[in-house]
Amino acid sequence: MARTLAMFTDTSLCIGCRACQVACKQWNELGAEAPEWTGTYQNHAHFTDQTFRLVRFVEEPKPSGDLAWLLMSDVCKHCAQAGCLEACPTGAIYRTEFGTVDINQDVCNGCRYCVASCPFGVVHFDDGSGTARKCTFCNDRIHNGLGPACAKACPTDSIQFGFRDELVAKAGKRVETLKGMGFKEAQLYGADTGGFLGGLNAFFLLLSKPSTYNLPEHPRLPQRNVVVDSLLSIGSALVVGLGAIVSFRSRGKGDGDA
Amino acid sequence: MLKTPHWEMMIVWYFFLGGIAGGAYFTAAVADAFGTARDRAVARIGYLVALPLVVICGALLIADLGVPMRFLNMLGTFKFWDPMSIGAWALGVFGLFTFASALLSFSPSPPAVAWRRKIGLVGIFFGFFLASYTGVLISNTALPFWSEGRLMGALFLASGASTGMATIALILFLTGGAGGEGWRKVKQADRYAIGFELCVLALFLVLLGSAAAPLLGGRLAVLFWGGLVVVGLAVPLALELVAHRTAALGAVSAVLVLVGGFVLRYVVVMSIQT
Amino acid sequence: MTTNLIDIQHADVIMATSNMAENHPVGFQWVMKAKERGAKLIHVDPRYTRTSAAADLHVPIRSGTNIAFFGGLIHHAIENNLYFKDYVVHYTNASFLIDPAFKTATDGDGLFSGFDTSKKTYDRSTWKYQLDADGNPKRDLTLKDPHSVFQLLRRHYSRYTPDMVERVCGIPKAKFLAVAKLYCEHSGPEKTGAITYALNLTQHTTGVENIRALCMLQLLLGNVGRPGGGVVALRGHANVQGATDLELLFHELPGYMAQPLRDVHPDLATYLDKETPKGGYWINKPKFFISLLKAFYGDAATEKNEYGYQWLPKRASADAYSHQHIFVDMYAGKIRGFLAMGQNPAVGGPNAKLARAAMQKLDWLVVNDIFITETAEVWKAPGTNPKDVKTEVFFFPMAPAAEKDGSLTNTMRLIQWHEAAVKPPGDCTSDAAFIVRLAHRLQKLYAGSKKDRDQGFRAANFTYGEHPDEPNMELVLKEISGYAARDIADKDGKPLYKKGQALSTFAHLTDDGATAGGCWIYGGVINETPDGKLVNRAASRKPADAKDYLGHGWGFAWPANRRLLYNRASADLTGKPWSEKKKLIWWDPQAPGAPDKPGKWVGLDVPDFNALLAPDGKNGDKPFIMRADLVGALFGPLVDGPFPEHYEPVESPVVNLLSKQQRNPVAKIWEVPDEKNVLAPVGSKEFPYVITTYRLTEHHLSGVMSRQLPFLAELHHSHFAEISHELAGELGIANGEMVTVASPRGKIHVRAMVTSRLKPFVVDGKKVHQIGVPWHWGYKGIDALPGSKGDITNDLSATVGDPTVFIQETKAFVCSVKKGVV
Ligand SMILES: Nc1nc2c(c(=O)[nH]1)N[C@H]1C(S)=C(S)[C@@H](COP(=O)(O)OP(=O)(O)OC[C@H]3O[C@@H](n4cnc5c(=O)[nH]c(N)nc54)[C@H](O)[C@@H]3O)O[C@H]1N2
Ligand SMILES: Nc1nc2c(c(=O)[nH]1)N[C@H]1C(S)=C(S)[C@@H](COP(=O)(O)OP(=O)(O)OC[C@H]3O[C@@H](n4cnc5c(=O)[nH]c(N)nc54)[C@H](O)[C@@H]3O)O[C@H]1N2
Ligand code: SF4
Ligand code: SF4
Ligand code: SF4
Ligand code: SF4
Ligand code: SF4
Ligand SMILES: [Mo]
Repeated sequence: MARTLAMFTDTSLCIGCRACQVACKQWNELGAEAPEWTGTYQNHAHFTDQTFRLVRFVEEPKPSGDLAWLLMSDVCKHCAQAGCLEACPTGAIYRTEFGTVDINQDVCNGCRYCVASCPFGVVHFDDGSGTARKCTFCNDRIHNGLGPACAKACPTDSIQFGFRDELVAKAGKRVETLKGMGFKEAQLYGADTGGFLGGLNAFFLLLSKPSTYNLPEHPRLPQRNVVVDSLLSIGSALVVGLGAIVSFRSRGKGDGDA
Repeated sequence: MLKTPHWEMMIVWYFFLGGIAGGAYFTAAVADAFGTARDRAVARIGYLVALPLVVICGALLIADLGVPMRFLNMLGTFKFWDPMSIGAWALGVFGLFTFASALLSFSPSPPAVAWRRKIGLVGIFFGFFLASYTGVLISNTALPFWSEGRLMGALFLASGASTGMATIALILFLTGGAGGEGWRKVKQADRYAIGFELCVLALFLVLLGSAAAPLLGGRLAVLFWGGLVVVGLAVPLALELVAHRTAALGAVSAVLVLVGGFVLRYVVVMSIQT
Repeated sequence: MTTNLIDIQHADVIMATSNMAENHPVGFQWVMKAKERGAKLIHVDPRYTRTSAAADLHVPIRSGTNIAFFGGLIHHAIENNLYFKDYVVHYTNASFLIDPAFKTATDGDGLFSGFDTSKKTYDRSTWKYQLDADGNPKRDLTLKDPHSVFQLLRRHYSRYTPDMVERVCGIPKAKFLAVAKLYCEHSGPEKTGAITYALNLTQHTTGVENIRALCMLQLLLGNVGRPGGGVVALRGHANVQGATDLELLFHELPGYMAQPLRDVHPDLATYLDKETPKGGYWINKPKFFISLLKAFYGDAATEKNEYGYQWLPKRASADAYSHQHIFVDMYAGKIRGFLAMGQNPAVGGPNAKLARAAMQKLDWLVVNDIFITETAEVWKAPGTNPKDVKTEVFFFPMAPAAEKDGSLTNTMRLIQWHEAAVKPPGDCTSDAAFIVRLAHRLQKLYAGSKKDRDQGFRAANFTYGEHPDEPNMELVLKEISGYAARDIADKDGKPLYKKGQALSTFAHLTDDGATAGGCWIYGGVINETPDGKLVNRAASRKPADAKDYLGHGWGFAWPANRRLLYNRASADLTGKPWSEKKKLIWWDPQAPGAPDKPGKWVGLDVPDFNALLAPDGKNGDKPFIMRADLVGALFGPLVDGPFPEHYEPVESPVVNLLSKQQRNPVAKIWEVPDEKNVLAPVGSKEFPYVITTYRLTEHHLSGVMSRQLPFLAELHHSHFAEISHELAGELGIANGEMVTVASPRGKIHVRAMVTSRLKPFVVDGKKVHQIGVPWHWGYKGIDALPGSKGDITNDLSATVGDPTVFIQETKAFVCSVKKGVV
């Protein structure tokens, strides 16, 4: 496998301009969707099959009473342990040699199991194509020496693209700097390969706790319980089976042979 | 924030009918293997019920795909840890078993019976699989209500068995077989199954904890309590215990069990839809 | 702007007063770079915006009180001795003595000396320096003389105390003092601060004075001409800087020279005499002006015919034909035909209802655009019966930037060349092609004319290159840059340029008809080798690097590829950098200089100074070379006064607390018949709220280019008004509910976006609500995205202007808000 590539989204540098969101649509030829009223600038409310990058706008009062408007460009996390990939029964979802997670649109049959299996609510079913879609990490671009379209468009380098190890080192320093500047809650999300889901190949720097950004504090791999659940089902089968065997072995007392 | 897969009525039916198919086949095979020759009617009904249901199940599953033509893509991959992957395989294999068993159930010849018994015992495995893997499948997603209680598979299995038995009982009743030994045995087995299912359900709710909110308090709460717990489990169990000698009431209880089985799948699948 | 966006990364503090993150997101990267270095960002805006989100400090200011705010900062800097003394004494006119008869607005209750109440104009005769026997301004380098600019400045702003700022602007005193401390302490040899502005300051009836107040603060703190400092004017459209340089304006000719006034400038000699200052670089104006006439009229421009001066159209009055004036006259039936080339006044102009009504009275209307605009469909605007509109409308489909060659000049004076990426589809043409084709046809039409006034147009050249219909844009740029109108030799008779050859610099322009140059400041953007090959410096593409952080190899910044204007000010009197940290250019006494003696200005930028003029030479210590007195103007006689004075917007809910003058006494208020320009009285009960109009990152101006692009149109749900929780509470309005916003001119129906990003102001102890409404919506859009269409915000705004450039007051006026569609 090639050296792992990553996207690092540093929300402390994000100005919410949504150039990333638009660049993604343009490059990936995604369609526009009638927006919903979210009460703020954010649109759309969630990732969709036509929206792979989504800039979130979170109004949150700071302890000082001042307002903070947290701006965050959200995207598929390209999890090292990816719920979507584990779920996919066709092998349409696969890991590229760069460590990113992509969906092969020609293989996907639209079962939507991945949709329910992403801990971040990223994958979305496309009614038009009948397949599941999400950020491709610009698979076509990275194989041709170009960075992701969203990172390319970002004017403030809030989205950075590069080798994962290098980005993680850089991100670590940035957190320290920010803490020094008084951002006490500055933290990395998904940078640690020893942390949840084996680390995210699209990881983030957040200025507040993950839940503020609508991110799960401790995302877990959905498939972690297959074995337990299966064993319990087998147990259940044994009990039911026993009941049936007992019932059928007992000699019938009543009338009516069949 | 989390996404629902938009599995709706087709999947409810699939879960429900798959459970019946698995349960009926299992009942049939047990009757075949452990019962008397008189229980063969039970077995035959079970086999004959399972076959079309499996076919319908396959059709439902395929129809629900975004690109139905690509159903076979699932059989091009085998991920033993992935319920969806092995589920698809299991459905196919189970289909073969039901086909063979159903075919053999028409022949009274001893070698056929012997084969059928052997096939049935192996087929039970796949039948149970079909009845329960759907539970394991949804409980290994990111959606808390589906995934927090560890007993979804167990619950589906118990319900599948129970509804399978109820189906056989109902057919017996309708074909005039009520009151016979087979009938009695099926009803007895179903009593155990219903009782067991109630226990599993209680435990399941405890394990779910706060994640059970969509069931206990959501818009489907009435259906859950009324349709499943009362009408689908408590009443049939009571009927079974109090009046299991009355065939008509036995049939009523079987119908209620089926209603309960359907409500269970409906509530589970639909409660996460937004 | 005086500086370069790249340089902002070196600021220690940045005060953004416009909404830079949203409207100049690409330039904002340099603010973020500065922040990464630890610089502080202050955002002054009535609303909390995406710029505020990035800021260390958001300072909510009531719209239209900018002079009170900057005046407060000036007051703070002076009274607390926080200004950069050496810089102020030597590089500004602080030490200059003013006519003793001059009175500040502090002494005139809001009026400076010389106000003529009946004419509503100033007699500016007292607004001038005291001169010594040689005619040079008198100075007092101790700054103590009561008639010194410094003491007058101090006196003028003595009323602008922190308490007053709180009462007028609604900025709590503690917050104001925090800003004052933070901004002013970044001054002196080691530190610099930059201030950005855009429409937040311009779109007021005090627009020009707002900007002067900002400039004065920067001069006081020594922040002009130095790295990390500057007056950061953030311009509009991608090429609005180019449009102003080339003067697609009513009052100036290319290169910032006045468009002659009929009564003031009857002939060339008078024009040059009146318009050429006696000192500073502008003494070269005759060279620039005559070269411009040569560029216009070619060989037909001769000394005998004043180089064609009389062919130039002359203005009838100072405000004719400013944007608003045009529509007032159009409504009055004085203008019968109109070409709207790349603009959409049906939506974008102030008092858009008036603009639409005016255009519906035209005989003909030509719209050149890349989309069908609201203007192109003004004959079927909502509420109009097309049968009633007699205007004949012609639409010409045009090619946008990507489909044509040309240059754009961005906000940092950077001229950048672009090549057509694709051919325009169908009948679309470039604007240049349209213009030359039209001109050629008109020339044919006038071919036989013997009238004097037509001869200039007949002689003018509209052919660039081989194809008369398809101009070669590089040749257009060459004409702008300047070329020899005949063979030119140097003093010794050595040939310098062949006829037609591009000049390498505007320094070679002459006033004898030997040179032509379409816009002197662009001089040198096109060079030509002796064998006739053009070198287009706007197309150069060497990015900035560690050796040249300003990126002189990327594009061409006018003038002469300088990136920071007045950069002589980055060095002290003796020519040494004020500090190592803030060095930019400096005097190197050893460097090979003039043939007779060494010494030269060197450094990281092209010196904006005579490179060979030693600091101890005559005026070698005066950096502001474009000014007649060579120093920065703390005292600057404009139309409305030499020091900016706070006046309330023309429409305001409160009375002016600083003086008896409620509004700018010299503001322009147009009288329009049929109640088309009704103004609300001060403190109107009917229209009690302040409203400001503004942009969103996702949309572009009148929205033509964004509402019709699905990717952009989908980013906002629909037209909306931002309303505070407090006001929404008072009116019982829920987030997302439809509301009616009305002014005396019109009303619109929009969705309420209830947000904590807006808060009511406390003005002089009373609560004043302000709402915000973006103005990007109109009646065209994408049918599948209904929210892409919406009411026109400018139906609310008024036809009023500031007295210098007549800009509209769309940042502060008053409105009412009602729940529901009423
Ligand atoms: N995305 C995008 N970018 C653009 C444009 C666009 O349409 N879309 N337009 C371009 C053009 S043509 C221009 S001219 C520029 C304009 O750039 P800006 O001037 O930044 O644009 P606006 O949003 O009109 O106004 C800026 C801010 O002024 C605030 N404001 C209102 N009154 C006052 C006041 O009295 N004082 C202060 N300090 N602030 C006040 C408003 O709340 C608003 O946030 O943007 C250019 N860039
Ligand atoms: N209330 C309120 N009103 C305002 C402002 C405000 O802040 N508040 N801001 C004011 C400001 S700063 C500005 S700049 C004006 C802008 O007002 P306008 O200039 O009227 O508005 P635009 O939408 O930019 O119109 C430009 C048109 O040019 C077209 N176009 C684009 N490229 C080309 C081309 O290459 N050739 C041709 N021929 N056409 C082209 C576009 O499609 C568009 O229709 O609005 C002003 N109006
Ligand atoms: S974020 Fe979701 S969609 Fe993306 S890789 Fe992880 S599990 Fe898959
Ligand atoms: S929808 Fe497609 S990508 Fe998702 S799990 Fe099913 S086959 Fe895989
Ligand atoms: S990496 Fe590519 S596909 Fe993914 S969000 Fe960015 S632009 Fe879109
Ligand atoms: S492009 Fe960059 S700055 Fe703009 S919204 Fe996206 S991440 Fe944020
Ligand atoms: S739209 Fe063009 S001019 Fe405006 S910020 Fe983006 S790149 Fe710059
Ligand atoms: Mo503008």
